[in-house]
Amino acid sequence: MALIELRSVVKSYRVGEQKITALAGIDLEIDAGEYASIIGPSGSGKSTLMHLLGCLDTPTSGTVTIDGIEVSKSSADELSRMRNRKIGFVFQAFNLLSKLDVLRNVELPLIYSGVAGKERQARAREAIERVGLSERIHNTPLQLSGGQSQRVAIARALVTRPRIIFADEPTGNLDSHTGERILELFRELSESGSTIILVTHDHEIAEMTPRRIEIKDGLIVPPQEIPA
Amino acid sequence: MNFLLGLQVGFREILAHKFRSFLTMLGVILGVASLLAMFGLTEGIARGMREQLEARGGIEKVQIETKDVSAELAEFSFLSRGRSLEDAEAIRVGAPLIDLVVPESNKNGFNLRRGSEVKRVRAVGTTPGYTDLNQMTVENGRNLCDLDLERGHRVVTLGRGMARELWPEDPEGDHTGEAVFLNDVPFRVVGIYEFMLTETAKREAVEAKSEAQAERRQRRGRGNTGRGRWRDPYFLQNSAVLIPLTTMVAEFKSAAVSNGVDAGPDLTLDSLDFRIRDTAYFEQALAQVENVLTRTHRGIDDFSFDTREDWADGIETSVRSTRISGGLIAGISLLVGGIGITNIMLASITERIREIGVRRAVGATGRDIFTQILVESIVIGVIGGLIGLATAGVLTHLLASLSPESNAPIVTMNAIGVSFSFAVIIGVFAGIYPAWKAARLDPIEALRYG
Repeated sequence: MALIELRSVVKSYRVGEQKITALAGIDLEIDAGEYASIIGPSGSGKSTLMHLLGCLDTPTSGTVTIDGIEVSKSSADELSRMRNRKIGFVFQAFNLLSKLDVLRNVELPLIYSGVAGKERQARAREAIERVGLSERIHNTPLQLSGGQSQRVAIARALVTRPRIIFADEPTGNLDSHTGERILELFRELSESGSTIILVTHDHEIAEMTPRRIEIKDGLIVPPQEIPA
Repeated sequence: MNFLLGLQVGFREILAHKFRSFLTMLGVILGVASLLAMFGLTEGIARGMREQLEARGGIEKVQIETKDVSAELAEFSFLSRGRSLEDAEAIRVGAPLIDLVVPESNKNGFNLRRGSEVKRVRAVGTTPGYTDLNQMTVENGRNLCDLDLERGHRVVTLGRGMARELWPEDPEGDHTGEAVFLNDVPFRVVGIYEFMLTETAKREAVEAKSEAQAERRQRRGRGNTGRGRWRDPYFLQNSAVLIPLTTMVAEFKSAAVSNGVDAGPDLTLDSLDFRIRDTAYFEQALAQVENVLTRTHRGIDDFSFDTREDWADGIETSVRSTRISGGLIAGISLLVGGIGITNIMLASITERIREIGVRRAVGATGRDIFTQILVESIVIGVIGGLIGLATAGVLTHLLASLSPESNAPIVTMNAIGVSFSFAVIIGVFAGIYPAWKAARLDPIEALRYG
């Protein structure tokens, strides 16, 4: 059974009188250990898709199953628990808490899982080491470069040992050289067994992932139509 | 997220914005300070009043006052001799609920002379029970005794305050055995009573390690008006000049001549006080005395009772009403403080929408966010409350130096507890709305914000 399974997922919003359909019926399966990218221009529905996959939102209709758990009808608290236990996020704008140092930023998800202080620190240090920032552990985000900040964000995503890591335009705020190093890091993580889903509008970045899922007007473009 | 972590986050947030947090707390600080200061003030005033009451013998002491005879008995009023020594004896024998009867025959304007010192004084002719009723303690020599009374000895006992004025060269000395003159009649000093200090003065004496200084201040008063008797609740005791009742009558009140006939010694009393054995039987005791007096006064209702009960009630009522109005004002300032917290918390969550989004994304539930914001608000309330208590300490000290010391504010543990709890409660209520607002932010919207 696939790690992620979407069946005829529709998501629509109501903006005033107008009804906007962001996703028009999506069927999708992603297996454990896959390294995939979701690509599409802005307004295509790729962010909405990521929100559904990331348990930040629930579909209007259809089912979303993640790691064997159907989350389409879950309550807000259950979604929080899913995000905490099974999912890691990496954002374009890093979204680190500027008042906390690196260690505390990375610890943050474990606080909400109720992991005790000592173990929490140990696991955070381990995750920071994996992204190669051990010597910056007590710096605050303002003292870090963009690339370093994104590494901290990745460590934060890794620290709960999630089933899936979502990265939403992770290189968008970085220069191309630093961006490459971050993508390199994702590739390494993927090789060591993590399931990684990259959301991007950049075909060049999408090229680097083994699987590409293209979204257009709320639908998945069939693979054969993607130009090689 | 547990409460301890919430505390940590709350503290960090407050430390990160020290000045803003201080301004936020200011309302709570002032509210708590004024609440506590108000409690202290009313408590002080109440204590001052109770002390005055205590100095006059407490509520168990009752004075028998003269009263106009009611109209239908007016023409028979000659039948009654008014308050007399006979009344005192009759009450002592016939009213078992009364444990002490003290008759007084007083005279004002005595020249009390000792050597070259002359004082205009009021002398009290009374019985040994007087000192008991007025809680006086012998320091040197002895009290008046029954033998003095029986034989009409020319002896006098003095309050320490009076002794100091008569012996300015040796104010604290033992002057028993020395002679003084009351209107040129020689009297032997047989006893001097201890100087009586108010509770406040006693406490200050301990603090200042100088009783003399505290006494001086008590006599002088520390306010700006009046001195002596108006300031010292124990003026009566400290300036006492006591002689046996019989001596007073025989020496100074025996010249009553009516229609050319010597009427003999004037046995009417200027004051007749009694003490009730057990205040639980207050009404019954009064009834007993009334029965006795109705008989000795031959049915003429020319007496009434002056009890301290009304006074005691008066104290309680006035304290209660000051407390309520003061509490209302302090309560309003606390409320304003609470609104201040709510306002700043709302501003602070708007500033932190993104942070809240991140926390939600990594797994915080709405409840976790609620707890975080609420704890922050409570922490502000608690710290504000603590600073407020400290401020109140300074404030009451300031007030103490301004107010007359018998009314100096007192801060009780109770008042501290109540004021502080108010601060915490305000912190809780002020935080609920912002916390609720933060908790129901949509994580996606929050992440997109800014």
